[in-house]
Amino acid sequence: MTALMNQDEFRTALENAIKGRAATRSPFSIAWAEGKLSRAHLSRWAENHYHYVGPFADYLAYIYAHMPDRFTDAKDFLLANMYEEEIGGDRHTDLLIRFAEACGTTRERVIDPDNMSPTTRGLQSWCYAVAMREDPIVAVAGLVVGLESQVPSIYRKQTPTLRDKYKFTDEEVEFFDLHIVSDEIHGERGYQIVLEHADTIELQQRCLKICEVGAQMRLLYTTALYHDYVASELPLAELEPAIA
Amino acid sequence: MPKVIFHKHGQVHEGEVKDNTNLVVRAGIKQFPFPHLRYGCGMGKCSKCACRVEAGAEHLPPPNWKERKMLGGNLERGYRLCCQLWIHQDITLMQDSDEVWAATIKPPESESETK
Repeated sequence: MTALMNQDEFRTALENAIKGRAATRSPFSIAWAEGKLSRAHLSRWAENHYHYVGPFADYLAYIYAHMPDRFTDAKDFLLANMYEEEIGGDRHTDLLIRFAEACGTTRERVIDPDNMSPTTRGLQSWCYAVAMREDPIVAVAGLVVGLESQVPSIYRKQTPTLRDKYKFTDEEVEFFDLHIVSDEIHGERGYQIVLEHADTIELQQRCLKICEVGAQMRLLYTTALYHDYVASELPLAELEPAIA
Repeated sequence: MPKVIFHKHGQVHEGEVKDNTNLVVRAGIKQFPFPHLRYGCGMGKCSKCACRVEAGAEHLPPPNWKERKMLGGNLERGYRLCCQLWIHQDITLMQDSDEVWAATIKPPESESETK
């Protein structure tokens, strides 16, 4: 029978739940890391990514509203994350649009929801559904631990590539630089909330499950980006050694 | 584990952190050097987390483009942006009071208050 885990055991279990299906394993991420994407491919990524991360403060706002009053630290962490996403410095989505413009697309194309793929729409909808309907601690596990905490490791790998192989300037890739720091703070805050408040076997198991599903959703999203925009020009066979 | 000695307002605060630790990330989750370390955007744009490195600077990587842009001549005085540093070795830091920071390091409003 499953037992209640202490915080160290639970953190390791959460990390393992995410690790198995990390988005860095998708063909799109591998092609990105190898410098094999064109600026047109990266434009399509930005046009999709905007609709996944753009509403992140909205997702958190639903969770904030559902979080019990007595979990003051958890509420404050969520509020801080929302503030930092939107007005703590540069608005994160503005930096994404700056990168998109450097890739050759336009602000108008990026913010137009008609330019996201059905899979991206599905990921965005899943994020909204989790934020609105799940227990707030489980929702933090899914969206902040399962999704947002993955970002630093992904961007840490991708950012040098954007400079060295794709020849973007520092300013053009600032969106990725800031996420290495800010999402690390946000992800850690998510872990703190979940480790402290998932204090029953049932809640811990639900958190683990949603982390796993969140990581699956992100992998689904990046894999779809490959099939929708890249596969016809860059066959899987050219990436297979890395995937294998 | 790296040892961090942190000077602020004439007081000394000490703590150990895990290897590859970012002190702004730590402060962001309310762990040492919280509540002593002042920080703001966490993205190298406001310079609120600027500290002078008193010891251990030789273990740090060269300043990145954000530090060069935000700190300018203060780099030569030993200042770094904590949000841009991952700590691997013992380090001693000194952070100025808000007043001194505002007078010596704080960038023009257009840089620090971007929305």
